[in-house]
Amino acid sequence: MTNPQTPTDTVITLSSVTKRFGATTALNGASIEVKRGEIVVLLGLSGSGKSTLLRHVDGLEQPTDGSIQVLGENVPGLSGRPLRALRSKVGFIFQQFELVPSLSVLENVLTGALATLRGPRLGLWSYGRTNKLAALGHLDRVGLLDRAYQRADTLSGGQQQRVAIARALMQNPEILLADEPVASLDPESSDQVMALIREIALDRGLTVLCSLHQVDLALSWADRIVGLRHGEVVLDTTTVGLTKAQVMEIYGRVATTTRELQAIEAELLADTIAGSVR
Amino acid sequence: MSTATRTSSNSRAGNRSGSREPSGPQTPPGSVAERAPRRRISPERIAAGITLLALLAASIVALDNIGIDPAKMARSWSNAERFFTRVGAISFPEPGELLYLTGLTLGLVICGTLLAAVISVPVAYLAASNTTPGNGWRAFARFFGVLTRAIPDVVFAMVFVLIFSLGALPGILAIGIHSIGMISKMFADAIEQIDEGPRLAIRAGGGSKLQEFMAGVLPQVMPSWVATVLHRNDINLRGSVILGYVGVVGLGMQMSFAFKSLDYGLGLGFALVIFVLCVVMEVVSSAVRAAMLGIQPTGRGLGDRMLRGLRRIRPGSARLGVQAAAASPAAMLYRPWNSARVRNTVWGWIAAAVVVGSILICNIQWGDLVTVWAKVPAIAVQFWPPSFGSYEASTMFDAMGETIAIALAATLLTAIVSIVVGSLAARNVAPNSGVRGGMRLLLVVVRGIPEIILAIVLIVISGLGTQAGTIALAIGGVGLLGKLLADSFEEVKAGPERALTAAGASRLQVYAGATVPQGLRAMIGHTFYMIDCNIRSATLLGIVGAGGVGYYLLNASQGSHYGVVTAIVLMILVTVLLVEGLAIWMRRVFR
Repeated sequence: MTNPQTPTDTVITLSSVTKRFGATTALNGASIEVKRGEIVVLLGLSGSGKSTLLRHVDGLEQPTDGSIQVLGENVPGLSGRPLRALRSKVGFIFQQFELVPSLSVLENVLTGALATLRGPRLGLWSYGRTNKLAALGHLDRVGLLDRAYQRADTLSGGQQQRVAIARALMQNPEILLADEPVASLDPESSDQVMALIREIALDRGLTVLCSLHQVDLALSWADRIVGLRHGEVVLDTTTVGLTKAQVMEIYGRVATTTRELQAIEAELLADTIAGSVR
Repeated sequence: MSTATRTSSNSRAGNRSGSREPSGPQTPPGSVAERAPRRRISPERIAAGITLLALLAASIVALDNIGIDPAKMARSWSNAERFFTRVGAISFPEPGELLYLTGLTLGLVICGTLLAAVISVPVAYLAASNTTPGNGWRAFARFFGVLTRAIPDVVFAMVFVLIFSLGALPGILAIGIHSIGMISKMFADAIEQIDEGPRLAIRAGGGSKLQEFMAGVLPQVMPSWVATVLHRNDINLRGSVILGYVGVVGLGMQMSFAFKSLDYGLGLGFALVIFVLCVVMEVVSSAVRAAMLGIQPTGRGLGDRMLRGLRRIRPGSARLGVQAAAASPAAMLYRPWNSARVRNTVWGWIAAAVVVGSILICNIQWGDLVTVWAKVPAIAVQFWPPSFGSYEASTMFDAMGETIAIALAATLLTAIVSIVVGSLAARNVAPNSGVRGGMRLLLVVVRGIPEIILAIVLIVISGLGTQAGTIALAIGGVGLLGKLLADSFEEVKAGPERALTAAGASRLQVYAGATVPQGLRAMIGHTFYMIDCNIRSATLLGIVGAGGVGYYLLNASQGSHYGVVTAIVLMILVTVLLVEGLAIWMRRVFR
């Protein structure tokens, strides 16, 4: 934000990133480029390396091999304050929301401002009036202003995820990462949360990298889809004019194990059933 | 048909999990007895079993040596009758003095517990595996905790009385340092059990390590921290009696003076006051827990029971309040003054007032904390090197042996009674709710009596030393061990019990076949915890005249033979650490 860049510059670059946890390979030479303002979905079955990839972007994991550039910074080389400064520009939304259950909604949102503050904070008073007003504004944006002083664990799942979005906004991010943000939600809350993320992203010109496992949702929501399988990028295409059958076909071509084929068959079957019911 | 289906489903399951089990029902040659695998027990389990048996044997021998003889007890009971006629009426000090002493004792205990609570935060931060900056720090913090736990608070008090002369400060510091061990351990355990998610979220947002801890970890462990501190406060109040014997001001000291000047009526009066104070404190702790944490008084402690009886608890006190509608962010800048916030604020101020009051009544000479450092080297020199002074080494080892014997004998008696009482107090074992309720009530009443008071009263009444101490420990232990066992039995899985019942087993067979095997590990763990507690308590019992090494400890301290104090403390330390190590090993083997 300090140096104005053209809207088409690349904000996330992963080049041949490999990550091994002992004997298992979570990422296998994965390369991705995301341009400013793009809304990209990482698509893949569980265990395909989506979460690991997202965590690398935020410097929560160190790659075994390969390079990662985010907002012009070489992420694996960062530590301490510079790493925290980068993280504050990257909002992260988790599948399980990850709010502190015993704190109020407002204080949970305020924890998003920690990177700009020095020293530990506990209690609403310790964040100051300006931050409180900003946090209340973000809560208003996600439609939960009236819940500000309620404990976070008294909210429903969908509401908690909206609080988590407000917390990410508190960071004033340029990039928003979301790791299966609606996998723990019912369909109605799920639609609400996905719509909210997209609206906010367009409003603020945020770059979004979001992992999902539902092909339909990805197609209707994202500008671009990146498919992962066994830690490898097997698909990278814009969603314009793309059909579910085409996506499935690509998956079918690269699927090798029976389990994967079964999962793809199940998806297509569910699709057919849903189609015939309609 | 059904066999074929089962076989095919078996083989599919086998393939999926990749195991190489035979998929069909082929019968290999040889009789069942030949093909059955030989039972193998690991050498470690055998060693642990032998150790357990040896401990049991030692306990039986110890109990025999102490010679708890019913006939003798009966004779001493006639002593008691004579004693009571001689004492006449139980008397109390002036109301004003009594009020001051009560306030002083409470203030001192609260200050000490709070000191420990504050110091425990950094200690636990270093000791918890998920927050520690390094393994070296972790080992250091754990060792520090074990050390403070292993040295009895009386020993700390003796040292501090020497450094600070009389007053409240030695008591506060003694309680404060000794309590770090337990509070920091429970706190570190709580930190290790947190949900890592919120902490990760704060890290992902760019928070520093310290910010992660304050905003992501502390709010999660706060309830357990408050509960632990309140629990420790109850324990410290009981323990404050014994501190009076080594010169810490308060009710305990006045009681020791009364008994020393043979004013038994007044001494028993003080004992009664302390007993009542302990019960009141449990009720208050329970109320504070309910108010601060939203924890309902559903527990089985005396306090929880009384609180339940006193009031109906409104559900949802944990909620901070729901607003109907919000106009704008600016209008919501301050938390609205709803009933929840008013209640929280009132409780907060009451807590602050109690803390300030505690500090004021203790009349702490803050200057001492600064000037004392000049005295430390001179005093430290007196404590080193450890020596047995004019005592024979064998006398001291015998005394330590006697202390261990008291602890083992008391644990044996406690265990026997607790298994019966604890089992009958468990919902799934008791034949009916009447028996269960009766046993639970018995446990609650026993737990309300501080065992030191029990020992003092028993010694004063019966004139017996070691026996009285053993019985006091044994009775006090039933309150704790019985409750722990009952809770463990209630926590076992109900499935196996139902299966045995369905197979036609009797109530006793279900108990022996399903309940006890599932609860065995907890039984062993709790019993070792009991030995641990009893060894510490047994050293203290000597101070009030119940035999063992405590007597020499008090003598050495009063006679300024500080090298002897060090030697005795080292003996206690080694014993406690050995028992703790043994307990850790047992818990691991009988997992």
